[in-house]
Amino acid sequence: MEATTFVRAPMIAITALRVLVGWHFLYEGLTKLTAPSWTAAGYLKQAKGPVAEQFRWLTTRPDLLANADLITMWGLTIVGVCLMLGLFTRLASLIGIGFILLFYLAAPPWIGYFYAIPSEGSYLIVNKNLVELSALVVILLTGSGRFAGLDRILHGLIRRKPRLAAA
Amino acid sequence: MADEDDKGKRKTPAAAGAPPKLDRRDLLMGLSTVPALGLFGYAWSRQQQSRRGTEATAATTRPAADLQEINVALLGAGAQGQVLMEAMLRIPGLRFRAVCDIWTEYNLRRVVNTLKRFKQEPNGYEDYREMLDKEKELDAVIVATPDFWHAQHTIEALKAGKHVYCEKEMSNTLEGARSMLLAQRETGKLLQIGHQRRSNPRYIHAYQKLLGEAKLLGRIVTVNGQWNRAVAPDLGAPDRYAIPAAKLKQYGFTDMQQFRNWRWYKGLGGGPIVDLGSHQIDIYNWFLGANPSGVMASGGLLYHDPKTHQWHDTVMVIYDYDTPLGPAKAYYQTQTTNGSQGYYESFMGDQGTLLISESELNYPGQLYRDPNAPVWDEWVQKGYISAPKELEAKQQTGSGAVADVRESVAPDQHAVPVSLRDPYHQPHLQNFFDAVRGKAALNCPAEIGYESAVSVLKVNEAIDAKCRLPFTPDDFRS
Repeated sequence: MEATTFVRAPMIAITALRVLVGWHFLYEGLTKLTAPSWTAAGYLKQAKGPVAEQFRWLTTRPDLLANADLITMWGLTIVGVCLMLGLFTRLASLIGIGFILLFYLAAPPWIGYFYAIPSEGSYLIVNKNLVELSALVVILLTGSGRFAGLDRILHGLIRRKPRLAAA
Repeated sequence: MADEDDKGKRKTPAAAGAPPKLDRRDLLMGLSTVPALGLFGYAWSRQQQSRRGTEATAATTRPAADLQEINVALLGAGAQGQVLMEAMLRIPGLRFRAVCDIWTEYNLRRVVNTLKRFKQEPNGYEDYREMLDKEKELDAVIVATPDFWHAQHTIEALKAGKHVYCEKEMSNTLEGARSMLLAQRETGKLLQIGHQRRSNPRYIHAYQKLLGEAKLLGRIVTVNGQWNRAVAPDLGAPDRYAIPAAKLKQYGFTDMQQFRNWRWYKGLGGGPIVDLGSHQIDIYNWFLGANPSGVMASGGLLYHDPKTHQWHDTVMVIYDYDTPLGPAKAYYQTQTTNGSQGYYESFMGDQGTLLISESELNYPGQLYRDPNAPVWDEWVQKGYISAPKELEAKQQTGSGAVADVRESVAPDQHAVPVSLRDPYHQPHLQNFFDAVRGKAALNCPAEIGYESAVSVLKVNEAIDAKCRLPFTPDDFRS
């Protein structure tokens, strides 16, 4: 990132995208955190696709499930805050991609997969999870936090250190 | 486009090897998305406010904020205890003082932690006696332990001067249920049994308005109901959290498998007919206005592993009733190998049918008017039932299947316009706490819980007896 150059208009758009995705993550996380005892068990039991077995197995292990619940609740919340602030943007995007990949795989809208409870739209292979995932890939690769976000300050501070040490 | 580079000025120093300075522009750009978080916080708090507003509107019948707090303890913090806890967290005026569970490393810790997040400060106990000894200011105890513990836990709590809400089935034995009823009479404390449909607004509407006032069904002659449940794996427990063998034994379990899956074991639970059937057979008694006069049943362990399952996984029952309007027969089935069509109760009278269930999704209350019944317009106008939706004509052009004289004309379909947006158990708990405050009568006092237990526990006897077993009115008195 030595010679990072940012083209202004697209970077503003990507920053807006980052804030919106972060907002969604944060709200998903906070609603789970504030529900009396939210658990992914119901969702996991309905899982389909190549890793459905593993998801269902998870629901039979209360200790692992409790950890998965905690990781999901806090993970979504923290990733959300980081994305909104542009803090540790690339790490947060990477973790966010991981979460969404799991959500996508738990209920993949693949050919021949049908779901009893209708979602708000119609999807074939591509659903909103996948779109949000690719949005995070864009955020990851463009380093939007260093354009507009706390990463820019953080980056500046770290970059200054050697000079201060030398002085 | 390169002209628009916002760090254009810096290109030169960077190229020269000097690190860029953190200037005002960097700070501004760095902090530029922070306000979005503030906006989120604002939206979040408005959303929470509006949610609280909705809940408050839904709870207009509830007394206002000047409630005297009721001190409650949760005895049994397993799956059902957690369901009750969640419902109770939505009821104003409760203070959780204690939680008791022998699975201290898992259930107890989990529930205490959850309650703490909701600004409750419960003490955790493993031994319910210690809890009853130490927690002097308790007003009420919620019993959600396995069925074979209900009698002992309920009786000791009543004798310690607490009001008790005890999960159904009242007990796994008639002696247990009877001793609970006697303890309730002796102590004069309240004892509500957790047949929560008794407080469900849709069931109350159906009983009071549709059956009672409007008599839409005419005379109910047959009843049909079921709870079909799909195969589910046994509940496991991680070795790390296993309860020591000595402690399990002390509390009546042989191992963790049994502790987690007690509903399937003789002497601990009653199997699906008791776990699931008692909810619905209780409604049969309520809506028919009578206790059964006889029962035949067939059941068996047809599918599950007998090493870890002792009770019948499949049960089919026929009850005889002598209702105030005449004799009736009621069929009930529960099976645990196929969940299709779920659970419902269907009351069929000579003027109409009521198909009802606790579920808001599958059978949220449908009524079918028999074509020879008087019109229901009056009740539609009063808002007791929705306007009819005429069922699709059976005749289809080009189809060989044509309605003929052997078929009855399809009835109109109406809906019961009452739904429950709160958790299923909330109204029943609310009714209990209202009763504790002296503002309501219990919807399922010990007497009703006992009658229901007598009706249901007899099924397992009838399966063994392989013949019709009669009930006498004395069976339902204690």
